[in-house]
Amino acid sequence: MAVVDHQLVNGPPRGLDLVGVLQRLHWGMIVLPAAWYPPEVVTELLTQVAEHVEEFVRHGYDVVCVGSPTGLAEPLGRLGVEMPDTITPASDAELAEFLTGREITNRGQLTDAD
Amino acid sequence: MLNQNAKCVGGALSPGIYSPLVEQLQEHGWEMVQMPCPELTFTGLNRFWAVREQYETLAYRRHCRRIVKGVAAAVEAHVARGDEIVLVGLEGSPSMGVRITSSDPERAGRPTWPDGSPELTAGRGILIEELMAELAKRGLPTPRAIGITQVLPDHSPEAARAGLKAFFED
Repeated sequence: MAVVDHQLVNGPPRGLDLVGVLQRLHWGMIVLPAAWYPPEVVTELLTQVAEHVEEFVRHGYDVVCVGSPTGLAEPLGRLGVEMPDTITPASDAELAEFLTGREITNRGQLTDAD
Repeated sequence: MLNQNAKCVGGALSPGIYSPLVEQLQEHGWEMVQMPCPELTFTGLNRFWAVREQYETLAYRRHCRRIVKGVAAAVEAHVARGDEIVLVGLEGSPSMGVRITSSDPERAGRPTWPDGSPELTAGRGILIEELMAELAKRGLPTPRAIGITQVLPDHSPEAARAGLKAFFED
């Protein structure tokens, strides 16, 4: 599961089709709050993202961050969860290589047969 | 919809991301802002498939109210910027249903109910109810809303795709 920078999902394409790569490789995503929201809104939404990440990590899901997960380390730390591995890919190929090279401990609900 | 891993076991009908929705959002230039999954952070990944009555507790309402405060504040920021907001829920869900939720006052105890959808009923899910209430409290407009129909027994991928296309083109 990928925790992704709002700007990478919604900003102008810069040689990276983030959603397309995640779709192709069957990764789900959690979109981080936009950086321009008022600070107290960002803080609250990041707390909620951290609670989601904690539940996935507790169940052995592979969680990564794509882009700049600014402010996520603090709420994760409060929950005793380390920051996931993070990548700021320059291309679809770089992101795909990063995701496919990982040792997956929990593939989620869908199996190879799906 | 953007993270099918958040669904209860057996509830995900596509791997990772629900593509028909994302395709329509991207095709029509909509920005994606994701709502938290209230059930995931309340009863967890190993939760049972449930109906509204099982979530209709003071504690779950409080949980949803806390979540929607953050969501509504984000909506408020977008409205202040002049953005149009639409809401995409999940029909049949006890929490995220927009027009169809699920109800079975008798459902309790050991989960041995048969497959099927007799619990589907008109109405909103709990989080959607709380979100609408919070938006109204803040004086924000009620957003147009649509629900993904993939768990409904009469779901048709073609009809769903056409419905999403019409909704986002409007």
